[in-house]
Amino acid sequence: MRASRRLNQVYGWLLLTPAAILLLSFTHYPTVATLWQSFFSTGTALRPSRFVGLDNYRFMLEDEIFWKVVGNNLLFAAGTIPVSIALALLMAVWVNGRLPGRALVRMAYFTPTILPMIAVANIWLFFYTPEIGLLDQILRSFDLPTRNWLGDPDIVLWCIIVLAVWKEAGFFMIFYLAALQALPPELEEAARLEGASRAYYFRRVVFPLLMPTTLFVLVNAVINSFKLVDQLFILTKGGPDNASALLLYYIYEVAFSFFDDSYAATLTVVLLAALALISLGQFLFLDRRIHYR
Amino acid sequence: MAAIQVEEITKLWGATRAVDGVSFAVPEGRFVVLLGPSGCGKSTTLRILAGLEEPSSGRVLIDGRDMTRAAPAQRRISMVFQSYALFPHLDVRENILFGLKVRRVAREERERRLARVAELVGLADLLDRKPAQLSGGQRQRVALARAIVSEHPICLMDEPLSNLDAKLRQEMRLELRALQRRLGMTVVYVTHDQAEAMSMADRIILMRAGRIEQEGDPDALYGRPATLFAASFIGTPPMNLLTLEDGPEGAVIAGSEVKVLDGPAEARILGLRPEHLRITETGGVPAELLATDYLGADTVISARIGSQRLGIRVAGRYRAEPGAPIRVAWSPEHLHLFDARSGRRTCDASGLSGTDPAPVRIAATASKGGGS
Repeated sequence: MRASRRLNQVYGWLLLTPAAILLLSFTHYPTVATLWQSFFSTGTALRPSRFVGLDNYRFMLEDEIFWKVVGNNLLFAAGTIPVSIALALLMAVWVNGRLPGRALVRMAYFTPTILPMIAVANIWLFFYTPEIGLLDQILRSFDLPTRNWLGDPDIVLWCIIVLAVWKEAGFFMIFYLAALQALPPELEEAARLEGASRAYYFRRVVFPLLMPTTLFVLVNAVINSFKLVDQLFILTKGGPDNASALLLYYIYEVAFSFFDDSYAATLTVVLLAALALISLGQFLFLDRRIHYR
Repeated sequence: MAAIQVEEITKLWGATRAVDGVSFAVPEGRFVVLLGPSGCGKSTTLRILAGLEEPSSGRVLIDGRDMTRAAPAQRRISMVFQSYALFPHLDVRENILFGLKVRRVAREERERRLARVAELVGLADLLDRKPAQLSGGQRQRVALARAIVSEHPICLMDEPLSNLDAKLRQEMRLELRALQRRLGMTVVYVTHDQAEAMSMADRIILMRAGRIEQEGDPDALYGRPATLFAASFIGTPPMNLLTLEDGPEGAVIAGSEVKVLDGPAEARILGLRPEHLRITETGGVPAELLATDYLGADTVISARIGSQRLGIRVAGRYRAEPGAPIRVAWSPEHLHLFDARSGRRTCDASGLSGTDPAPVRIAATASKGGGS
């Protein structure tokens, strides 16, 4: 009896091992190594790396560009998250109803998700290009003044936000669509019999029942708003004057353009800590208000 | 006046006729059951009454007004769903009050009705629970409470007891019926369970393949089934339907020799309920016992007469070995005859005994015939 239980435990560990090795070597070890490195200076041929305590963090607090990209990133998050979630819900409700060519509409909404971000950025680059881009061509045909969309520090970030919303909303729609289809149709019939309008039914029944999905989508949207930076490589390279640089892109620049490994590690630690805190907060705060079946 | 009047409704799903020219009336304050096997159109009919489906043709009148195209909420009906359709994120109180809040009933009025209904169905202590924390029976009561609290005169029920276990179902049957009487509700109740229909209904509408097979009170459906289908659907175990053929003196049960009816068989089918058959020492029709099924209060015996199998229900325990010879007898008033081709009842037992005394003397004839 005891021997068979021990054997079971061995099997359990054996089954967990492959995934555990991958996670440890590519997620947990790099995380710890990053944290470790953030307390050291970047070594050069002449000055080897040495322990500097919190010096890197102190430098970060005085780094104007850091604060600039944090501000950009917060604006980017505030611009993309609510809009893409609202749009996703709206599209899901629409394509869940009866309409001709429903499958086609669903597919159309989902297409941006399956395209690689680099390809998406190239498409939008064509939209945004001054003078010959789609937007400017449209503006010109109405005799409106054209503009350099990605060259203007005041609007470049908004251009990036629009692109991100376009890319993400379809992805989130799929989750809402699945959740909507899991709702038993009798609930709507029961509400109709009681005389509830569609809006009332949506507010009192559908939306609360979609909350688990909303939380999931929200967590993903927040993480994506810090994670999705591929488009910057194609469109702006963070410019002009860092007006469109986001935190992760800045980390990339610090690490691979300026080769300041330790400072990049420091920024990474801050990014990870912020994401962990946000996710934790979402789960703790929203979980109490969510009904799980 | 009839609370609900259904006139020639038909519902097409593509080429299929789910409901095919159905008409009936539901008198006010009555308990009417739509009974039938799955796929017979009874649920579709109910959903048409509720306004959840539109009929392809025909009219639905509620309180004398044409409601065929009216929205469900305008019909002043409530409905209990088979799945209960409770809102899983709302507690019992909010589930019950959902409709009243939609209709903006004043707060004091809501509380008054809630207290009364919760008392009525025995949910007073569970108002703060979520549906997931309730047992099947309790959920059923919430669904019922939600229907009652609306104080609509008509309540539609779609197999509301089918998700409960057998014992609870029996209890709820009595409770539901008592509640309906007490509140004077008009109920249209859909079920495939004939026992449920028999025990609760004032009136049963038996449906098959989208049409009404027979309509009447439980006595009529049990005592005078209009068709072979009605005969086999009502009653457990079902009525024995025995093919007749021509014997030397009159009609005999196929494969046997003893006359059971005067005159030729004329492709008729003899219907006899298991509970109306007796086992006798002398007389009757000889049969071979195949098996016994002891159920406690009674025993159901499977037997064979000629080529025909039949069930016999006797009180208490009946002990016999398979293969034993027995004699089966019945009284003429319990005899049903159907036309094999149309499936319709050809004449009834009372008419038969009046015009032709032969079946009365079956026992005697059989004992005399036993020697021949």
